[in-house]
Amino acid sequence: MLIDKTDTSHSNDPADVAIDHVANNYEHIILKLSLIPEKWIETYPLLGIFDFSITKHVFLLILVAFITVSSMIFLVQNYISSKTKVPGKTMNFIEMIILYMRENVLKSFIGEKYYKDWDALVYTIFFFVLIGNFLGLIPIFDFLGLINYLAGGIPVVKDLIHGGNTVTANINLNFALATITFGAFTIAGIKRYGFFHHWKNLAPPGLAWPLYFIVVPIEVMAMLIRPISLTLRLAGNMMGGHLALIIFTQLFIIEVAKNYGIFAALGGSIFSVSLSIGVIFLEIIVAFIQAYVFALLTAVYIGMAVNVDH
Amino acid sequence: MDNPLFTIDPGLFIWSIIIFLLVLLILKRYAWTPLLNFIDEREKEISDSLAMAESAKADLEQVREESEKILNEAKNQSKSIVSDGKQRADQSANKILNDAKQKSDEFVLDAKKKIDVEKKRAIKEIKEEVVDLSLDLASQVLQRNVKDEDNNKFVQSSLKEINTDEAKS
Repeated sequence: MLIDKTDTSHSNDPADVAIDHVANNYEHIILKLSLIPEKWIETYPLLGIFDFSITKHVFLLILVAFITVSSMIFLVQNYISSKTKVPGKTMNFIEMIILYMRENVLKSFIGEKYYKDWDALVYTIFFFVLIGNFLGLIPIFDFLGLINYLAGGIPVVKDLIHGGNTVTANINLNFALATITFGAFTIAGIKRYGFFHHWKNLAPPGLAWPLYFIVVPIEVMAMLIRPISLTLRLAGNMMGGHLALIIFTQLFIIEVAKNYGIFAALGGSIFSVSLSIGVIFLEIIVAFIQAYVFALLTAVYIGMAVNVDH
Repeated sequence: MDNPLFTIDPGLFIWSIIIFLLVLLILKRYAWTPLLNFIDEREKEISDSLAMAESAKADLEQVREESEKILNEAKNQSKSIVSDGKQRADQSANKILNDAKQKSDEFVLDAKKKIDVEKKRAIKEIKEEVVDLSLDLASQVLQRNVKDEDNNKFVQSSLKEINTDEAKS
């Protein structure tokens, strides 16, 4: 990774380089924006909910939101207002995804009767996560880093190039999405069965009463673990791909250059570049699959809350 | 939680929830609802026009059948009209022919009868004429007065003679 010459805080330890490529960065905050003094947050970390400082991942989050909203609205409005009613290539692809999800995910898991309340959420999750995943695959920030390096440090860009650019690899964002999913399936269940009956659905009827002492805690745990599993699945997948990429391209070369000289490193780069191209293709597939899985599981959980078969 | 990959960052969490909900609301309002309505409308339009095409096809089929039926009926009718006309013409021709035959037969019969009557009368007249003539002749030749009785006797005998002659002929 290209390093700002004026920046002395950077470590040359390969592990740090790799992690810096994936994780958020708290040393280079773009805009400090905290509602309470930082000292309080240091003593009570949970007070961090009042810290709205724009870190790189917050910036990326806003970028993803902006791209998602603007591109979708642009495409859809263009499509709807077109006289021919024929979708373009991108719109056709989006329409295919939406129709596929409606027929195979929403209708089959949530059911004809209730899916219309939740379709917007499932579509939004899919496209939001998808664009987040893809934004991580495009090395815009490495390019900005090159410009910054050549220019010798540009104020805002200097802070932007530190930290990973896959926002969906961040567990905080994923946990927020998973919390929304959790809220969605809880609300769906309450809307369908009423507040008390929804929670009663956790205990399947028809069991001998002592079993409830085992079954109910298991069911509650299974319900609570859902957002955590959603979070870790997405974060792990996105993180893993990028770690593999950085290891194949940069660390491998650094180690070879250190031990065998620059020419060996050049030879090794042929191997590592071809390998990383393969990893990128894999990552494209993973980006799709993970976005789909997140949306699918959201629909499945909502469906489980809405259609309790007793 | 020393690992930077798993740093807990409540600020980002709150940011994410706020931004995602905003994205959800905006997209629901300006993208998903209009798009799904549009798709539904288009699907309805397609199925409607397909149904219309189907019904139009059925209508066409019906019209075709009807027209065929009408055509067949017309053909049959024309056939029957022609055969009827022929029959009638035959009938009237036969009738005319028969009438003519009958009339001519009647005419011939009448003529024959008339001829017969005339013949008989003529023969009778001839006979009387012959009788008178022969009477005249005889009286002139004989120059003699014959009594009425004799006269009558003679006439009677000669008439008998003529009648037997006629029967012979």
